[in-house]
This record gives sequence, structure tokens and C-alpha cells, in this order.
Amino acid sequence: MQMISQPTPIAYALKGISPKMGSPNGMDVVMSFSDEVTERKNRQLLGVCDVSCLSRFAIKGPGTAQWLEANKISIPAIANSWKLQKSGALVLRLGNSEFLIEDQPEGKLCAALNVADRKTLTGLYKVERSDVALILSGNQVLSLLSELCTLDLREKALGENALVMTQVAGISATIIRQSLNNEPVYRLWCDGTYGAFMWDTMLEIAVEHGGGAVGFSSHYKL
Amino acid sequence: MKLLQCPMNGTRPISEFVFGGELRAMPNPETSTDKEWAAYVHNRNGAPGLKKEWWYHGPSGTWFIAERNTLTEEVLRTYLFGQETAA
Repeated sequence: MQMISQPTPIAYALKGISPKMGSPNGMDVVMSFSDEVTERKNRQLLGVCDVSCLSRFAIKGPGTAQWLEANKISIPAIANSWKLQKSGALVLRLGNSEFLIEDQPEGKLCAALNVADRKTLTGLYKVERSDVALILSGNQVLSLLSELCTLDLREKALGENALVMTQVAGISATIIRQSLNNEPVYRLWCDGTYGAFMWDTMLEIAVEHGGGAVGFSSHYKL
Repeated sequence: MKLLQCPMNGTRPISEFVFGGELRAMPNPETSTDKEWAAYVHNRNGAPGLKKEWWYHGPSGTWFIAERNTLTEEVLRTYLFGQETAA
């Protein structure tokens, strides 16, 4: 059977350039935009990276916390917070009874949850998501966020495991700050249909600050 | 910048919120008269004063109640529906 790759939500914004592409998890994303030195410079100054291809699983309903714990997921204690699993997977608690889980590139947690038995508990509703997921990195990242978001997202204002749902460039988005490969980065998820707009908007600002687009392989080695 | 306190997400700019109308008790559609039902569907109280209103925080999808003085534009408190006593 022929496997068909799914385009990334930012595919439209990539028209006209020819970056090195790859298909982790069956989605066509940019692995690198330029040579390794430039990618590293952008990543460390102000880099915008598309990681929409990471597997995600979302579920909501009154029985969700109990069901996740029964499936050996360590969940955040309160809404609007997140927790890292031993596997590196992120568990985001979007509300009292709504969760979003995102795997590392070769993680299997989302695939396992997709086929896990949900009939033993009532009040479980799987949520279909088509997020654009971005990694914002570099020492100038707050300059970008302060232009697009009204909230103070500095380290002292945004708690270590806090999650905020706010508007970025006028688009509803979920933001956390985490450490990735020992570098502090911001993670952002928003509806995939806004992907090209979000990408273009962020990239324009990133370039103004001397940064730019960063490929998937700059953050993850496959 | 105008700010509003979301009971789930904290203080946010007003641009993140949508007004959902005044909180009003719905008459029983089985027992109310046509006049009472028509008044509920079509009439609104436009007199300024302290009102309980529905507001919606778009990014998180949270509906909540705000007690707002529509004359002075002062928001006294906000809380999730049904959690008035806890606020």
C-alpha cells in the first residue's frame, strides 16, 4: 500500500522556497532551511521551527483524568499546567477535564492511547486536533512574543509548569515554556488553519531581529 | 487597554473576550404564557446599572458570569456559572 504524506499546516507559507524536507510521522515538514551553522545561529538568536508532525492525542470529559491515570500517565494536578513524562512526552492540562498529549518524534504514547480501551469509563470524548505546533527559541524570543502577545511571558511571570491560553497575533493559542536540549524554548499550538499566517507573522519579526526559520532537525535528531 | 478577569485564566485584555448577553432566568416554556415567552425572547433591559452578564474567553473556551455596572463600566467580580457563592 502506498503511504501518502500529509502536508504541514504551514505548507502554503513555504511556497517559493526549496528547503530540505522530511516526513517524520507521515507529515512533510522542513528538516533544515540552510546549513548547520546558520540553523544554529538562528536557533540561538531567534528561531521559529515547525514541529506540527509530532504525534498528538487529545481527550476531554469528566472521566478523563481517571482514565489517563489508569493508563499510567502522570497528569498535572491543576488546570492550565503541564507535565513531562519519563518518555519525554508532554501532558498539557487544558482544563479541569481536558488534556492534550504530545509525543517526542519517535514516541509511542499517543499511538498507544489511540487504541487504548475507552469503553470501561463513561464521559470520555476524544478530541480531533489539527494544530500547527511551533518551537520558538533563542535569546531574542521575548522580543518576538512581546510584539504579538499582550501577556507577560517572561520567566518570572510564567510559572515553571504553567500553561497559558491567550491570543498571539490575534489567534487563540496555547503557550508553555520548557527546556529542550538544555535550551529554554517556548512552545506554541494553535489551530492549523492559521498555520501559514502564524508562520509568516512570526518569521517576519524573527528576521527583523536577525533570526529566522529553523528546521525540525535543529531540535530533534532522528 | 481594558482588562477583564477570567475565573479560569486570570486577567486578560478585553480583546480576548466576547460578550454573551445578560444572564436572565428562562420562563418555563411549558407553563409560560405567549406574552411571557415573547417578552423573554424579544425584550432586553437596556437600563444602565449593576448586571450579571455572560462573557466568553475565546482562547480557552470558558463561559463565565461577570457582574458589571453598565453605567460606570466597573466589573465587580467574575465567576463560573453555578459557583457564585465561591467567588
